[in-house]
Amino acid sequence: MPLESFDPQLRANDFVQDLKWDEGLRARFVADEDAVLAGYDMTGAERAAIRERDFRALHDMGLHPYLLSQLARLVFGTGENAGSSTPATALLRSLLGDDYDRYVTSRG
Amino acid sequence: MAEITAAVAASHAPGLTGWFSKASEEDQRTVRRAYDGIREVLVAARPDVVLVVGNDHVANARLHDYPDFTFGLAERHRGPDEWFKPWLRVPDYDLPGAPDVAGRLLEALGDTGRRLRGARDNLRFDDNLSVPATLTGLADLGVAVVPVLQNCTVPPIPDQDDCYAFGRALADAIRDDLPAGLRVALLGSGGLSHEPGGPRYLEIDEKFDRWWLDLLVEGDHDRVLAEATLARMEEAGSGGTAELLSWVVVMGAIGPRPCESLGYVAFDQWRCGVGAVCWDLGDAPATATTGTV
Repeated sequence: MPLESFDPQLRANDFVQDLKWDEGLRARFVADEDAVLAGYDMTGAERAAIRERDFRALHDMGLHPYLLSQLARLVFGTGENAGSSTPATALLRSLLGDDYDRYVTSRG
Repeated sequence: MAEITAAVAASHAPGLTGWFSKASEEDQRTVRRAYDGIREVLVAARPDVVLVVGNDHVANARLHDYPDFTFGLAERHRGPDEWFKPWLRVPDYDLPGAPDVAGRLLEALGDTGRRLRGARDNLRFDDNLSVPATLTGLADLGVAVVPVLQNCTVPPIPDQDDCYAFGRALADAIRDDLPAGLRVALLGSGGLSHEPGGPRYLEIDEKFDRWWLDLLVEGDHDRVLAEATLARMEEAGSGGTAELLSWVVVMGAIGPRPCESLGYVAFDQWRCGVGAVCWDLGDAPATATTGTV
């Protein structure tokens, strides 16, 4: 599944990079996500998927898997969750959807 | 005619510094011993410059305009990048660069067919440089560093044959284009199996990792290139395991040499198989023409 859908032209890739590279943008994103999303040139589908933390949809649109992990970290991995498994778990839950519980059980 | 005086490779992962102590004492000891081993090799080799080859993690270029290799030409290499600090929890570092060396190599490798770039400004470093710099104590060795950041994850990815060939060209450039007597160490930074951001994010392919290390110790580079392909790496964890291509660059540069595994740990919370190796360059300095591949 990873890299099969990857689209280097997808604007959301640039957006996640910009969030990583621009501390000011990151702060504005945390403070007023909707305004930042509205002001960034990308499709409505990309904006909606980011707003809804729908990593699976972003993956299928072509977001690079590594940047998926970084976006998960940005929205789920701050404060007490820094360095925890919370972002990875949230990402996996979205990627695997209905299969998530079965997957976790199978890992024991 | 400069010389390659050391060749080593080791994993990087944020867990190795950010949440190292979550692993068992035994696993921690194994990793410490492995990086101590890397440090000992570097100290004994008395390098003037260390080339650290590692995955760029899509941190320094847009994905629609992505180079194969980016040479750090800065006077100083500072890190880690701000974004990674809460994750890596390492002291800030400020390593001396070697702009002349990096610039000459970049120029000499211009006809390799790879997409090369040089960065005069400080690059954004994450665990690729920060973890080996911290765990081997690069800063207090006082040795100059040339970071060579690599595309391991953005298609089209230079595969194992491309990276081995690039390593051979790199060795030629070290021999022919760097000042006589300059001592160069090569450090491949990356791997082993992991799949950041993919459905197997929490998994490590221990079977693959042990097979890879055994293959390297066995030392047949023809077999490594035939069997440990980019596709095989992707099977063992997409978008992460292929960081082993940095080890392949080092192998291409030194040709077949005795290889020693310095240890291996598969601890799931690090989300990455962790291992390290060093190659014995023997009495004679390695050159690109010693390989049979």
